[in-house]
Amino acid sequence: MALTKVYDAATVFKHMNGILNVYKPAGMKVKHVRNAILNNICKGLNEMEQRNPRKFRENRILLGTGTAADHVLHSIGEQTDLSDHLLSTGPRYLPRDLSCATVSSLGDHTSGVLLFGINRGTVQSSSIRKNRPVRVYHLIGHLGSATENHLPDSRVTMRSNHRHVSADRISSLAASMQASHQRKMFELCGVDLQTQEAYELACRGLLRPADDSQLVVYGIKLIHFERPYFTLELYTINETQECLATLVHDMALDLRTVAHCSQLRCVRHAHFDVTDSLLRHAWHLPGIIKNLRQQRNILREHPQLLRQHRVELQISE
Amino acid sequence: MFCSAIRNILRNSQNAAFTSQIRNLRGEQSTKHEISVLASPSTSIKADDKKKEPAEHEGSNKVALDFGNREAHVPSFNLAAYVNNSSTLQQLISLGVDLHSIERRKGLGDFVLKLDFEKNVKPFITFLVDQGISPDDFGRMFTKNPLLFKEDLDDLQTRVDYLKSKRFSAEARQRIFTHNPYWLMFSTRRVDRRLGYFQKEFKLSGHDLRLLATREPNAITYNMEHLRKSVFTLKEEMGFNAKELSALVVRKPRLLMISPDDLVERFSYVHQDMGLPHTQIVQCPELLASREFRLRERHEFLKLLGRAQYDPQKDLYISPKTIVEGNNFYFIRNVAKSDLETFDLFLKTR
Repeated sequence: MALTKVYDAATVFKHMNGILNVYKPAGMKVKHVRNAILNNICKGLNEMEQRNPRKFRENRILLGTGTAADHVLHSIGEQTDLSDHLLSTGPRYLPRDLSCATVSSLGDHTSGVLLFGINRGTVQSSSIRKNRPVRVYHLIGHLGSATENHLPDSRVTMRSNHRHVSADRISSLAASMQASHQRKMFELCGVDLQTQEAYELACRGLLRPADDSQLVVYGIKLIHFERPYFTLELYTINETQECLATLVHDMALDLRTVAHCSQLRCVRHAHFDVTDSLLRHAWHLPGIIKNLRQQRNILREHPQLLRQHRVELQISE
Repeated sequence: MFCSAIRNILRNSQNAAFTSQIRNLRGEQSTKHEISVLASPSTSIKADDKKKEPAEHEGSNKVALDFGNREAHVPSFNLAAYVNNSSTLQQLISLGVDLHSIERRKGLGDFVLKLDFEKNVKPFITFLVDQGISPDDFGRMFTKNPLLFKEDLDDLQTRVDYLKSKRFSAEARQRIFTHNPYWLMFSTRRVDRRLGYFQKEFKLSGHDLRLLATREPNAITYNMEHLRKSVFTLKEEMGFNAKELSALVVRKPRLLMISPDDLVERFSYVHQDMGLPHTQIVQCPELLASREFRLRERHEFLKLLGRAQYDPQKDLYISPKTIVEGNNFYFIRNVAKSDLETFDLFLKTR
């Protein structure tokens, strides 16, 4: 595919479709990220070459004699329509001209991969959402102090010692939690774990919830421990920021200490990785176009993101 | 481009006598519905030779114009609908005035529509040209503040004379009027009161006050309530003493216009997390003018590299001023002496 330089805003707008992978900074609301992206797209488009103000219609019926000597009439015929001038109509592209939908939202304190469907990509974004892909999080817990909402910005409610906590203790707890979450999934389906039915269910692939009411955890792993911080890797569906923070808090209580969640970071959403997500300083039109192209390739490589063939969605009650 | 447009307009004005003649002939037509043909310079010059038989042409004109008139009677939500029929709006567009942003503000659309270029606008343009303002800025100025046309020219002259009497140089006045189109709306008494407030509040010398007003003309005419709040924040919440405060304000008057909440957030990051004392903050007030996330990113990156050393007495000193200067690429190359990939990877762990 030969790449050509494009200077024309309309061409760019026409190709502005697809999924966008943005790195959401912590402490910024999804709404603000969305507005920033849309405003930057429009700013970029408005700086490109615009169409000229339209001319009055060629065959405008003139009521005069229409002879060549009639200057007045001919100048009307030639004139550009000033009501279509940029200064009277305003900028050609406005944020509301673009449609934009998030695949799934992130909390205010969460940073990391955030997917947007832009224009025709909104269809893709909703089908990705309906497929409920797994998201991978890195949670950094801070041992020794608990806070009111389990996030770092609220009041400290409890402090405690954490000398007895070691990496082994955390890993073994994580493993047992993972096992219990997996068992819960089968129980919700109404099958006993020690049966042929359960085996067949498991053979069909990942058991996923049909609606977005229940938090499902597929894996918890301790990946880094440096007192007082520990980092967990979490594979989940239907999570919210509060759920994850509470999970860290509960884990710490099981370890007979307290902790709060000092950072939440989404590192992967289905096949969309943090490595090719768009950082804040690259939220401009060229960067966004490039990112849309990258994500399009990812979607082409993994068509199951949009259409599921192999895995059936289980109904959990 | 705009200069030539202005020149055209002024040249046309020499035909004004002729234009008024035509207007008389077309007596009953109101100026609002005046045809665009008449407004465009080329046609008015061309039409000049046909002055001998005006009656005959008048008839054909009227027939041709019927379209425009009919369109203009349709009520509209924006000025764009009237542009083809109003020579004033056309002239404003050729000056570069953004009608779209004017009409979004309440009442201004009506006001602009009722203006007559020859009568209401041109004297002001000549006045501003006399003040030495470049025609390139007219579009932006009138977009910001079309209500300038409502003022009395003598008043404006008085206001300019007031600034002259306060020994503002010609360049300073020029800068003030272009950067703050609202300044001329303020009565002499009010501007005097404002300048007095600044001088007394920050104990400024005449020179410093002029410097402040020229650097950020918007600060002088800013919302007084907000200014008081900002001064309170700087003085009481952040604890700058009177001398530091005046230095800070003269160096970066924009600080007064930033919302106090943001200012406190930035200050607490600079003072507590980066550990800079008040004296050093006064040295480079740019720190407080930069957004918090930018400071945070860059400071933490430097800390990761082990280069966050802001004490000029020690080795490997990094001036806090350079942290907020330039774009990311410049910062990474020249201050952090690293590369963009490392910085990106670092940002993706935040």
